[in-house]
Amino acid sequence: MIATIRNHFVVSEGRFGRVLVSFMALGFLALVAAGIAAGWATGRNEAHTRSVNHTYEVELAIGTARRLIEQGEASRRGYLLTGNREYRDAYDRWTVALPDALHRMQLLTRDNPRQVDTLIQLHRDIAALLAQRTRTIAMVDAGQDDAAVASFRGETSVRRMMGIRSAFDRMATEERRLLARRDEAQRASVRAFYAILALAAVLLILVAIASLLTVMRYTRDLAASRDDLRDFNDRLEETVHERTADLSRANEEIQRFAYIVSHDLRSPLVNVMGFTAELAAATAPLGELLDRAEAQCPQIVGEEARLAVREDLPEAIGFIRTSTQKMDRLINAILKLSREGRRVITPEPIDVAAVVDTIAGSMRHLLDERGVALDVARPVPGLVTDRVAIEQILSNLIENATKYLQPGRPGEITVSGEERRDRVIVAVADNGRGIAAADHQRIFDLFRRSGTQDQPGEGIGLAHVRALAYRLGGTIDVDSELGRGSTFRLNLPKTYAQQDSQP
Amino acid sequence: MNAHRSVGIVMIEDDEGHARLIEKNIRRAGIMNEIRHFTDGGQALHHLFEAEDGPAKGGPALVLLDLNLPDMSGTDILAQIKAEDSPLKRTPVVVLTTTDDKVEIERCYDLGCNVYITKPVNYESFAQAIRQLGLFLSVIQVPEVEEH
Repeated sequence: MIATIRNHFVVSEGRFGRVLVSFMALGFLALVAAGIAAGWATGRNEAHTRSVNHTYEVELAIGTARRLIEQGEASRRGYLLTGNREYRDAYDRWTVALPDALHRMQLLTRDNPRQVDTLIQLHRDIAALLAQRTRTIAMVDAGQDDAAVASFRGETSVRRMMGIRSAFDRMATEERRLLARRDEAQRASVRAFYAILALAAVLLILVAIASLLTVMRYTRDLAASRDDLRDFNDRLEETVHERTADLSRANEEIQRFAYIVSHDLRSPLVNVMGFTAELAAATAPLGELLDRAEAQCPQIVGEEARLAVREDLPEAIGFIRTSTQKMDRLINAILKLSREGRRVITPEPIDVAAVVDTIAGSMRHLLDERGVALDVARPVPGLVTDRVAIEQILSNLIENATKYLQPGRPGEITVSGEERRDRVIVAVADNGRGIAAADHQRIFDLFRRSGTQDQPGEGIGLAHVRALAYRLGGTIDVDSELGRGSTFRLNLPKTYAQQDSQP
Repeated sequence: MNAHRSVGIVMIEDDEGHARLIEKNIRRAGIMNEIRHFTDGGQALHHLFEAEDGPAKGGPALVLLDLNLPDMSGTDILAQIKAEDSPLKRTPVVVLTTTDDKVEIERCYDLGCNVYITKPVNYESFAQAIRQLGLFLSVIQVPEVEEH
């Protein structure tokens, strides 16, 4: 369930991140588009301004050329009528300036084929006009005023002038038309700019809304999963409490059961042992009777009766005795275990090294007799737990280590300890005969033993050790190899924690 | 035991075998007083308090009590014998049982039991204990039951 919740978190977090990043990318894209559009619009605007200026310049140039031609005409006519030199000078001035003005027109409009055509036409007309004018002026200069006036009257210059004027008008109109077209293009590009801007704005708003919604949904999801997690946590705690209560109830039940059963088994055992003893006592007078009978009248003593009294009875009684004694020991072991489970644990600070020293002192004789060296790898981390229980565990483990030696190798036992967070691991390592892997779990079961059965014992010690370790909130396991030695590791909480259900 | 009047021994023990072994060993200790054996609490209580020849109406008595009985707990019988208004409250009660639970022993003494003996499983010890109990019974003084 925890895994599912964690997965749920991971998935939604990843999706959330991706969604948000893509929204932000979209937003930036919209901004970039708006920026590009603004740049483009500015460029378009500048181009438009340039083209408007160009139009005005063209119009100016057209106007200048037209004015020069009109003024030239007016001056020529003045000179023609009055013969005044001032008109002649003015005419020269206007005529000299004309080619420049025409050239400027040509420069400004050379990109437009229609204007170029019109201009070529204009050039031709102006050239003809100028030739006409030069002729009449020359006539006046030569004093042939009448001939000049006659020529003026006959000339078709009015029509030509009108043609020139209309050409100028056409050119101006053409420029106006171009300007209008450019204005239209400019308006279109401004419209496009605003459209792009509006689109970007809409996109930005959409992205903002979507991002907001995503964030809100994510927050809501987060809150929901936090609530779930809290509920789950509460439930878990409740479940743990329930299970712990169940477990300790079951444990108490088993211990009560073990107690009652072992107790009630004792009653019949008293009878079996008692009457066996009575039976044994009764065989003595029976034996005497047989002795007397054999001595006084051997013919009445049959072989069967003799065997029954002399062999069968004592043998049967002997077997009953040893079996009941063994049964008594087993029952006592169960009783002891169940009693151990009911004992009140009193935690106190324990110096494991000192405890081992005490055990070594009480086992000195045994250790010396078996030639076993017992060492403590100091320092051993201290722990707070039940003294009696830890003493029993360690003395059981050490005694076992002295019992199961590898033949031909002096025994060495090392007790060491290490701290792992809130646990302390006490290891009892020996170089004894070791335990087969198949028996690593079995040896902790009641009445189960491993290897050659050459040592006295009922298979109670390690079961007792395990029960004590559990009782202290710890575990015990063994790491062993046949012929190499064994290491028993006792894993205990650094500080014994009273469980609710314990009595 | 009291010379002028024979003290009856009331044995409340559900296990016939145990009863037989106890009786044998008491006799071996030389105690020849009458032993009345009951295998359940109901009959025993009736004899103790109601019967004409029972301790409450008849002579002084000593009770040998087992705690594990089929119909009631031995401690219930103990409580009734030692109750404040019981005519038998001064009657010595020897609890003789297989239970060696500390709590149970304390409870019996709290209720007024005079001696608490755990039956050893080992028969030699058992026989020894019963014989010693017999010696003890031969010197113990038992009070007369007060008439109400």
